[in-house]
Amino acid sequence: MNDTHPTFEELLDYAHGELAPARDAALHEHLGACPDCFEAYQAELQVGNLLRAHARETERELPLGFAQALVRNATERRVSFWERWSSLLRPLAAVPIAAAILLVAYFGFARHGGTPRRFDPSYYLEDHAALAASVPFEDAAALPAMLTSDETPEGSDNTP
Amino acid sequence: MAASRRPDEAPSDEQTAFLESAVERYGKATYNFALRLTENEADARDLTQDAFVRVYRAWRSFKPGTSFLSWIYRIVTNLHRDELRRHKGRYLVELPEENDSRALSGATLTETPIDDYVERQFSEPVARALDGLSTEQRRIVVLADIEECSYQEIATIVGCSVGTVRSRLHRARTQLRKLIDRHMKTST
Repeated sequence: MNDTHPTFEELLDYAHGELAPARDAALHEHLGACPDCFEAYQAELQVGNLLRAHARETERELPLGFAQALVRNATERRVSFWERWSSLLRPLAAVPIAAAILLVAYFGFARHGGTPRRFDPSYYLEDHAALAASVPFEDAAALPAMLTSDETPEGSDNTP
Repeated sequence: MAASRRPDEAPSDEQTAFLESAVERYGKATYNFALRLTENEADARDLTQDAFVRVYRAWRSFKPGTSFLSWIYRIVTNLHRDELRRHKGRYLVELPEENDSRALSGATLTETPIDDYVERQFSEPVARALDGLSTEQRRIVVLADIEECSYQEIATIVGCSVGTVRSRLHRARTQLRKLIDRHMKTST
């Protein structure tokens, strides 16, 4: 017989079958020979029995229709708050995207020659002046005809 | 471990069948476990519902051959813990009188009227004693003594070491015994 009395913790572990095999066997032997320890062990068993009895007493069946509701609620697709919002906002996102596409299309087309260049007359005038300066006998060239007008200012005295 | 189903992934028949089977076999046990943790029928329903939604979404992560109850108890325990943290304490709504189990005839599993009588005599002090434990202590006692889980299973469910389970259970049982004695004296 093992003369070492078990602690309360050991008795509890023994009652739950959680002692190491060697200690379990020793305690089993001890309980058979020590009435005090056996009584303490019985008291712990009694608490466990009371708890299980209470559990049986208070055990409930599933509420009516609850099992079906469990399956139904679990299997149906739950839409989160963010998903709901994003689905609402999704059409609005098309507006800036469309604007961006239009801007890119417009400027891209303009840059790559889509729009005709503007006519700059000063370029041709300068070019003409430079060309004329390089022509020999430029000074002898005939003056361009002066534009005359038949219109005479009113009130002038040069009438015959 | 296989990846869980994405929320936008279409459910398969196999997945739905898995859930239906789980609810049929373990729905009642899960609901009663949730009820013992929350001590409140409405919260127990919510907890059970949320637990099975998780089971459904993560059904591929369940390994055949392992204990489904341990898995779902772990889910329930985590959800309950999260809920307690969110509310910073206990559930406020208590069990209404009309839901007293004694009013539900045929719900008990006692074998003889004498057993039934004895159980009722002790049930009230035990219920009050359980109510006097902290949430953590009650969780451990429920798992160890009512669900009869091993220390290793409890450690897995609760998410701590076996040593922690052992020490918590020792403290809880010491406290419980004192409370039961006190309530038995006051009730007689």
